[in-house]
Amino acid sequence: MNYLKEQTRKQFFGNCGVGLGTLALNQLLGTYSQAKHIPKIDPSNPMSSRKAPLKAKAKNVIYLFMAGAPSQLELFEHKPKLNELNGKAPPPSLLEGRRFAFLKGNEKLLGSTRKFQRHGQCGMTIGETMPHMSKIVDEVTWLRGMTTDVFNHGPAKLFMNTGFQAPGRPSMGSWVTYGLGSESSNLPGFVVLQSGPRGPRAGNSLWASGFLPTSFQGVPFRGKGDPILYLKSPEGMRRNRERKFYDTIRDLNKIRLEDVGDPEILTRINSYEMAYQMQSSAPELMDLSKESEKTMELYGAKKGEASFANNCILARRLIERGTRFVQLYHSNWDSHGGPGETLDKDFEKVCKDVDQASAALIFDLKQRGLLEDTLVVWGGEFGRTPMGESRKTTGRDHHIDAFTMWMAGAGVKKGYIHGKTDELGFGIIDGKVHVHDLHATILHLLGFDHEQLTYRFQGREFRLTDVHGNIVREILT
Amino acid sequence: MNFLRFLLFLLLTEGYLLGSDKILFNRDIRPILSDHCFSCHGPDKRARKADLRLDTYEGAIRDLGGYSAIVPGDPEKSELLLRTIHSDPEELMPPPKSKIPKLDSEKIRLLTQWIKEGAKYQRHWAFTPITDPKRNSKEHLIDHFISKRLKKEGMALSERADPYTLIRRLYLDLTGLLPSPEEVSAFVNDPSEKAYRNLVDDLLKSPHYGERWGRHWLDQARYADSHGYTSDSERQMWPYRDWVIDALNKDMSFDQFTIEQIAGDLLPDATKSQIAATAFHRNTLISQEGGSDPEQFRVEATMDRVNTTGAVWLGLSVGCAQCHDHKFDPISQREYYEMYAFFNSAEDKNNTGPTIPVIEGELINSPEKNEKNKANLMVMRDMKDPRETFLLARGDFTTPDKKTGQLNPSFISAITPDLEQKEGKRSRLDLAKWLVNPKNPLTSRVTVNRTWMRYFGKGIVETEEDFGTRGTLPSHPDLLESMSSYFIDSGWSMKKLHKLIVTSKTYTQSSKVSPQSLKADSGNYLLSRQSRIRLDAEIIRDAALSASGLLSRKIGGPGIRPPQPSGIYAFTQNKKKWNTTTGPDRYRRGMYIVFFRSAPYPLFGTFDVPDFQTTCTRRARSNTPLQALNISNDPAFMEFAQGLALRAIQTIPGEAETTLDERIRLAFKLALSRSPNDREFETLKNYAIEFAKDISAKGDGEDAKSLINEAIVKSAISLDQGAALVAVSRAILNTDNFITRE
Repeated sequence: MNYLKEQTRKQFFGNCGVGLGTLALNQLLGTYSQAKHIPKIDPSNPMSSRKAPLKAKAKNVIYLFMAGAPSQLELFEHKPKLNELNGKAPPPSLLEGRRFAFLKGNEKLLGSTRKFQRHGQCGMTIGETMPHMSKIVDEVTWLRGMTTDVFNHGPAKLFMNTGFQAPGRPSMGSWVTYGLGSESSNLPGFVVLQSGPRGPRAGNSLWASGFLPTSFQGVPFRGKGDPILYLKSPEGMRRNRERKFYDTIRDLNKIRLEDVGDPEILTRINSYEMAYQMQSSAPELMDLSKESEKTMELYGAKKGEASFANNCILARRLIERGTRFVQLYHSNWDSHGGPGETLDKDFEKVCKDVDQASAALIFDLKQRGLLEDTLVVWGGEFGRTPMGESRKTTGRDHHIDAFTMWMAGAGVKKGYIHGKTDELGFGIIDGKVHVHDLHATILHLLGFDHEQLTYRFQGREFRLTDVHGNIVREILT
Repeated sequence: MNFLRFLLFLLLTEGYLLGSDKILFNRDIRPILSDHCFSCHGPDKRARKADLRLDTYEGAIRDLGGYSAIVPGDPEKSELLLRTIHSDPEELMPPPKSKIPKLDSEKIRLLTQWIKEGAKYQRHWAFTPITDPKRNSKEHLIDHFISKRLKKEGMALSERADPYTLIRRLYLDLTGLLPSPEEVSAFVNDPSEKAYRNLVDDLLKSPHYGERWGRHWLDQARYADSHGYTSDSERQMWPYRDWVIDALNKDMSFDQFTIEQIAGDLLPDATKSQIAATAFHRNTLISQEGGSDPEQFRVEATMDRVNTTGAVWLGLSVGCAQCHDHKFDPISQREYYEMYAFFNSAEDKNNTGPTIPVIEGELINSPEKNEKNKANLMVMRDMKDPRETFLLARGDFTTPDKKTGQLNPSFISAITPDLEQKEGKRSRLDLAKWLVNPKNPLTSRVTVNRTWMRYFGKGIVETEEDFGTRGTLPSHPDLLESMSSYFIDSGWSMKKLHKLIVTSKTYTQSSKVSPQSLKADSGNYLLSRQSRIRLDAEIIRDAALSASGLLSRKIGGPGIRPPQPSGIYAFTQNKKKWNTTTGPDRYRRGMYIVFFRSAPYPLFGTFDVPDFQTTCTRRARSNTPLQALNISNDPAFMEFAQGLALRAIQTIPGEAETTLDERIRLAFKLALSRSPNDREFETLKNYAIEFAKDISAKGDGEDAKSLINEAIVKSAISLDQGAALVAVSRAILNTDNFITRE
């Protein structure tokens, strides 16, 4: 019997117990407000700070994106069984239905040569190449059961950032600033920083605003030269002259506004004033000379260098100055075994690039009281296979079925390990967290129902989690 | 139970008393059903609950076992209404757990009245045949409908814009360039209707018209000079760009324009130009990443061809039917793949083939051919043995639905139910002809609406990309009908359509916003004024080039690479080749700047040019601080400011002090096509004087030297005075007025 029939039958036979008392009259005559978490945006200042519709634990996000996909089997997942079966063919049952980027099907299992140790109260196992990260295990929620849908770098990065594997959707940072605006009036609300030998695959579509207004797109700050393109005035235009220049434009725009009455001119006047402010606030942000020696040491940062460590300090400085969403990309974690991608020297180098600063960021945010409302996310676009891939040396291919990420700070548990994989690291046994679930959880921490933060485009309500996503409640405080 | 009925009765009585206007299904009811009901009781049969569909009359009145969702004429017996007010969450519709908002009392009242009046359904307006509503033929077609509506609201069109504003508006809209001061003067001296019409005719004959409107078309064609995805290496598609410019300049009829781009290769005795036109659908992305399955990307490109065709010609988001039946519009998943079948036999497979060799000038009506610049243009060609097409479950290329069987190319039946499809094998040519069949109700409406949008800032149907049931209704339905008929009757002439629009009083009226009109119609839906529209990125450059006198008017050929700061590719996977263009080519229009999808020329990203991963039918128009920094500090714009200053110096010779006023006025006029008013002039003059004073007081001439160029140095003006004029020119180019079509 179908639903409607059954319900109606219940009603007709008086089973549903409806009476006048339960049917409130105001329900009939009143107006219901729309439940959607669609922000009301002031067109003259789209980035003005907005209050989250639900109770929020986090105010800001720092997302450390490990571009190229770090090997969870060298860093976080100690698998003695895999070491034991090194060189053997994987059980066919484990390969069924899985897809890989490069593997042909005859590859052998590859044990890890890395030494692992348990750390902290939570007893998280960390590989030897991350000595600093082993010190923050009790500050962090470990997600060992991450899974994604896509096994190529570009599409998988897009998927991790936008919830969709093709370009064109808004990135997480765009959704967040669309929802919350920014606390800063003289720096962008969503900033992207980058380090390592090359840019992440899929490029600017990773921080694009898609169909959301472009005010919400990520602004990439450059490590060298002007942090923002065209930030510096032309040579000869000194600061006092620039004040006059911006005043002149403001006066001209005001005269035009009085004449033609278009309120958009008011927005233009505001934009120009913020541009002038940014000319001093952005270099001030980038200038690490006021950071203490101790801080520089903590991060392993060197003044004047474009590095992951410097970017981590900048991320903290951005959050301090009110920026809502900071995303760092560091390349290259790809470890197929070919030149520049080996699991020994190249892998050690990239570990060294990020290990100390990732941990330092957590310590530093904590000691400054910023960790309470800042969420830090660390991870790549997928994981790496338990089988070896033969190139010049033996490396690992892309693995989408099980990998590790971590989160720390506002609203997530400390020293908590969520999820478990099988003894060879092929699949997840418990605590599976899909990319959409991660997104749902991050939005939840920021005070949004991921199903309600929507934007209407081409006849459809779009959201970061598409039509999926469940909040991972186990990891919440 | 009786209480419920009684309450319903109360509500109905109240609602009925409140009701006034007659209910129209398309205007009043469909949006309610679409927002609240169709996701479970709509066209998508797999998502359908309780075997109930409310998008058709038959479905809604169907006997569900002694009762029906809707009983025409009898709201009390209509289960649907009962469910909207039920207090039991298990019974209430939409179910609270669905998170679809509940119906408010006004919506319930409308539904009630509609059922009472017989629950009449209407076909969705956009799918009904185009009509030609009656009108006063002596009046301008557009003004007739716009004025009629304004009158109904007690409003009227604004007065005609002043001739300065009008000529700048017309130049920017039709050519994307600025009028010269002489052209402005001539029109100001004779701003008659006749002179205006002559101006319109001249501009529509200008070869720059094809560039201006070609750029709009290239947005829809998702044209770019690189393959996209992560490698994003360069490709040579510029001959297609030239084809578009040429076709528009020739005023190729829109039906022919369509047929050649969708299926030029399949025309009998196809010419080279017709084959080149099919590059339209070769603007899809190609993945060159190692380890990727070419079939996956071939399927994605094929889907993009379907989706682009749907968006550009039909104004429908057919892509929703990739994975499931469309939730709101009558497009089934099967129909999606039947349309997909038209494109599934294309030869290319995530690679560049097939191509045709083209030399510069060959596709553009140009006497100069340049053998040195050759390109292998990617075009469409069908395989001899076409691939079999299956429905792809969940849109996944690895899961073809063999059970449903092989699908043949076919059109979406709901759009043209009265049109019989040709028997036997249908080709892309049949698809193209179907798109522009006068009986196709969408193509003309969608095209006219989008053209309108470029002139007024938004379409008559505001959701120009969605003419489906979830789109907004036309603000002026009869106007859209009338113009759509006109367009077809004119032989699909795009130039005639432009002329119709720009010769209307609706177009030529002032864009000034009075407090009254802002209050009465803040969004300007009724058009009691023109709209002020921020210029597109390319046109900002073009306008600055025209003002500075640096503009190179060369049309077509390979793209250019003006200077750009280092580090643009810091964030891309591969560094791009960017050998800075020198000589006059450096000052060519923005549309010729080589476009890498992964890292476009900075001005473009800052001023809302999309990355052309997919079709773009409407650009965003943002207003950000980064835009301010771009025009203020980009060396290119400094160069334009220097050009503008130099032009003022050279046109008005003499002593710096005695000519200052005149030079400021001229620079202003060159950029804004009008003279400054007293306050504007005083503001700029004070700025110039103070600037010159400051720079001579503090500097040793070094600052001034870095602000002016060699030509200004040679012009015998003092360094400080020259620098002050550059500063003034820079300020003018940074006004809101300069980057706005008023």
